[in-house]
Amino acid sequence: MSEPSNSGKSAPAQRATCIATIERIFNHNAETRSLFLRLTGAIDFNFVPGQFISLELPLANESIVRPYSIASSPEDGQPLEICLNLVPGGVGSHYLFGLHVGDSVSFTGPFGRFTLDRSPELETIFIADTTAIAPIRPMIRRALADREHPPVRLHHAAQIADGLLYRSEFEVAAANDPRFSFEPALLGSNAESSAAGAFLLDQVNRRYVAGDDDRKRQFYVCGVGKMVFELRDLLRSAGYERRAVQYERW
Amino acid sequence: MARLRIIYESGEPERVIEFNPADAPFSHDGQPGSILDVMLANHVHLEHACGGNCACTTCHVVVKSGMDKLSESEEAEDDLLDKAPGLTPTSRLGCQAVVESDDAEIVIVIPRFTINQVSEQH
Repeated sequence: MSEPSNSGKSAPAQRATCIATIERIFNHNAETRSLFLRLTGAIDFNFVPGQFISLELPLANESIVRPYSIASSPEDGQPLEICLNLVPGGVGSHYLFGLHVGDSVSFTGPFGRFTLDRSPELETIFIADTTAIAPIRPMIRRALADREHPPVRLHHAAQIADGLLYRSEFEVAAANDPRFSFEPALLGSNAESSAAGAFLLDQVNRRYVAGDDDRKRQFYVCGVGKMVFELRDLLRSAGYERRAVQYERW
Repeated sequence: MARLRIIYESGEPERVIEFNPADAPFSHDGQPGSILDVMLANHVHLEHACGGNCACTTCHVVVKSGMDKLSESEEAEDDLLDKAPGLTPTSRLGCQAVVESDDAEIVIVIPRFTINQVSEQH
């Protein structure tokens, strides 16, 4: 089987690999946890809100590469926080869920162009389902950093209450910032896994497509599966600028 | 059998892989039968920081011939490529470009920036 690590015979110069120690583990719920990573050595690790790191996971017979969004902000410094789901049959997530505080991981990065590095100039709508909030979280912090920012809204949907990650943090931010509104949606544990996507699609359609003719907004959409593409297509076909609809699908 | 010839802009020795597209998937990352999938299964390194999920451009390749034997790019791939350094009219993401013909003769170049780029800066 293949070996997508740095050992390929034809592999030329490789990216620098970072080594980090797991400093803390926080369980959001039974299937979702955050790992807090502190880099080994005096490495100046810079990233932009929304980017991810690429973990190199040494499995039994091979190494695999798996990306994880950075859920903390550049301003936080270290440890970096990554947030992950235990995916049924997912060898990468099962490996990571088996790690403990003090264990080491290696990664490259940061990567990704689904980013927001400054306070926006347009009304900005963030849309995420479940753990796809991870890259959105530092983006929102950056968006709100300038108190004169335009209206910013977050739509976050999940099936269970513990799936609305960072809910209290967003509620506090919304309470303290009249230009930021937070709209969590709890769909219930009996809802199908696609329910969050369907809910968000309907909400976006009613609010930002059918609801008015204002097309001077920008959107950042992150989620799992086809919902992300459906939202992209809905918004772009409704007249929003192509570049005003940024998205990342996992 | 299809044939994938890989040329490195950096001057590394080129590689040639023969494979049957009908046998896809060959490995675990990228679209089944994609350039990335074929390369990984043959122990030929191609960066794929996002795990072949069409969320970055680290597997950017330039197709020199055989473009018509590859799957057409979709909007998500095009959106990402728009942000890729060194974009050319025949740029593709290795994780998304699927070899669709069993007699395909594909030639790709791995750009120098794909190999040496330290990180994708915003």
